[in-house]
Amino acid sequence: MNLYFLSLVVLSASLLAAGQTPSLNSGSSVESSNKHQSLPKVPAESILVKGAWSSASDSMIPVPEAATVSEGVFSDPYFGISYKLPQDWSQEYEGPPASENGRYVLAQIGPPKTRDGPDSASMLITAQDMFFTPLPAANAVELTEYLKHHLQADYKVEIAPTSAKIADRSFSFFAYWSPVAELHWYVVAIQIRCHVVQFVMTSRDTKLLDHLLGLNNMKLPAGVSATRGDGGGPVPVCINDYARDENVITRIDPVFTARRFNPVPVRIIIDKQGKIKHIHFISAFPDQAKAISDALEQWKFKPYAIDGKPVEVETGILFGRARQTRAPRASGPAGQ
Amino acid sequence: MSKSRFVSLPLALLLIVSAASAQTDPGVQSASRGTGATIISPSNDPNGFTAFFNDGFNRFREIEAVSNSANNGLGPRFNSNQCSSCHAQPAMGGSGAAVNPQFLLISSGVAPDNTMPSFITANGPTLEARAPFFLNSSGEANTAAPNGGVEDLFTVAGRSDAGNCNLAQPNFAAYLAANDLIFRIPTPTFGAGLIENLDDSTLLANRAKNLSNTLGISGTFNRSGNDGTITRFGWKAQNKSLHMFAGEAYNVEMGISNELFPQDRPLPEEEQAAGLPSSCLNLSGTGYPEDTSNPSQTNAAVLDDVSAFANFMRFLAPPPPGSVVLNGSQVPAGLIAAGSALFSSIGCAACHNPSPGTTQLSNFVPALSNVQVNAYSDLEIHNMGTRLADNVSQGSAGGDQFRTAPLWGLGQRIFLLHDGRTTNLYTAIEDHKSTRSEATTVINNFNKLTSAQQQELLDFLRSL
Repeated sequence: MNLYFLSLVVLSASLLAAGQTPSLNSGSSVESSNKHQSLPKVPAESILVKGAWSSASDSMIPVPEAATVSEGVFSDPYFGISYKLPQDWSQEYEGPPASENGRYVLAQIGPPKTRDGPDSASMLITAQDMFFTPLPAANAVELTEYLKHHLQADYKVEIAPTSAKIADRSFSFFAYWSPVAELHWYVVAIQIRCHVVQFVMTSRDTKLLDHLLGLNNMKLPAGVSATRGDGGGPVPVCINDYARDENVITRIDPVFTARRFNPVPVRIIIDKQGKIKHIHFISAFPDQAKAISDALEQWKFKPYAIDGKPVEVETGILFGRARQTRAPRASGPAGQ
Repeated sequence: MSKSRFVSLPLALLLIVSAASAQTDPGVQSASRGTGATIISPSNDPNGFTAFFNDGFNRFREIEAVSNSANNGLGPRFNSNQCSSCHAQPAMGGSGAAVNPQFLLISSGVAPDNTMPSFITANGPTLEARAPFFLNSSGEANTAAPNGGVEDLFTVAGRSDAGNCNLAQPNFAAYLAANDLIFRIPTPTFGAGLIENLDDSTLLANRAKNLSNTLGISGTFNRSGNDGTITRFGWKAQNKSLHMFAGEAYNVEMGISNELFPQDRPLPEEEQAAGLPSSCLNLSGTGYPEDTSNPSQTNAAVLDDVSAFANFMRFLAPPPPGSVVLNGSQVPAGLIAAGSALFSSIGCAACHNPSPGTTQLSNFVPALSNVQVNAYSDLEIHNMGTRLADNVSQGSAGGDQFRTAPLWGLGQRIFLLHDGRTTNLYTAIEDHKSTRSEATTVINNFNKLTSAQQQELLDFLRSL
């Protein structure tokens, strides 16, 4: 994967050196409209007319939502996760698009439909972009604490938030259950590239959940934990609010033509020279993505350096509707 | 799990049998629950709005004509000629009835020179049709040209009160051949005044409480392009207010121009071309808008029809819950309560929130003030996946986004989901699960329940 990423960086750099900007593929309200102006029939069960949706300025640099479940393996190149699923498990349906708060459903996996029923288990893998969460949490431990403190009355805590070692990394772990539904939820979470990646396992059978939790079948990037996963190494360093005034040399504000009042969270990668390298529109209408990309391509940042060595930076900018004030953080020390 | 419930022996046997077999939708509950009454207490109506409700009630059931009657303006295109014909079940103001009144409009002379669309059947759902895309000249769906507007089913052609207007119906056969036609059923309006009177801050706070869910659910709100506030009526929450809801329906469903929509409405494809022909304009002979306020009248009658309709819906009480009969026997209250707890525990309530909050102070009537709204909806729009997607965008809602349908009154609803595709509650639940749907994980949870638990949940839903 490192070689793959390096090759992408080299390719992107060569494109920029040649005076070409990465082509914009900011999506369209009508999927594949460039390919199909007309179809004999509208495909059944298709989403051709989209609302706010995710898109990116190029298709080469991985984005969080590009997770795959194939041949028994969940992988997400953006997060550097590879997870070998339990035998026979797969994904029946892909998840919804990313939300305007930067929440992703990366995968929904489980056993074959024929085994669907009270004896089954399932797993939901999500990611929360911590640049855009309205929740008062800065990492996986705090997010798990928040979850525990805001459990609905229907649920009871089964195992209070604690740490768990998975794939030699420290995860946040929390379990709760519903006495009425007789369902149990195991939640493990880790921080990667300023996102909290959450694995939610559900079953009536805690032994089955223990078994799933104990499977040693996950590969993760180095240097990630429940409290720290700030990128670096082969991926950009992620820094919250790097696009504040003191770091921006040239700023051009986008002008939206339609009034939709939705927040538009955008992740950008700034190259070592301080220019925009990659734009990820987490949730935007096509016209908004176009306006933002037209503006951002003119932005110039102060290059960021670690120990005097320039590095790429990944950060978030919220366009459109202003962010709401975050609620107070959950009480109690983290990890308790 | 221990349950200390008293269950009589025959009923216990019935439950065992029920648990062993597939779960059953108890179906439409026929016993009267008093749905359709006004929320106004006549003894606590300081502003005198009871008269406005009654006036709206009467106008809601008036039969509209094109011209030469007391109620003019119908057409030139329409889906029906009476609000109450579509909003009928289980009482006036509700959703579609068991017998589709649209199926009778040709034989009864309301739409004499029309052909009954193939999808309108005697006992099927009352429908509105929309084409997601315009067709090209070869009859193919032009996916680069979204349409999404209503294709009214009928025209006034052949009516004695419609002059020389001889419009053709939309080419439904061509749209169907291109798989380019979707349907909507009427949304029930009971309790709509309470929904209208929820402040945005209440809905936003309700949403904030739900952000940490472990279900993969992240809804948003549809918003007014005029002032940016939350819109909340219609299948995609595209309408801001009951006035707007009524004004649009009067114009789109009955072809009656009004103070909010002052022109007669052509089909989307006509609007792209030359609009309506002159032979089909001003058919009432009174000019536009066809519905206006009535200065010569007194009291409530001075209002225009749209305002009267809005008042009728605004002052309709929420649908009362009731007992449930399954296979001829009443379901014990304890099982209904268990179903309610299951509904919440597996995550249904994350969107179908039993109460999104309490209304603000009402300037209409005290009955709308400070009331808990038990709508079973968060009034957000959610991505509902490929199985429910209709590829129609309204406001900021995309082709697969729908407002969480309020579930109050579900016990007496016949046709389910936005297009009335099923009458079976179990099917409606399972259809929430598909590619790109926010509800898939919740349905996975539902499928982990035992048959007996699923039965309790279905029973509970029919109690609403």
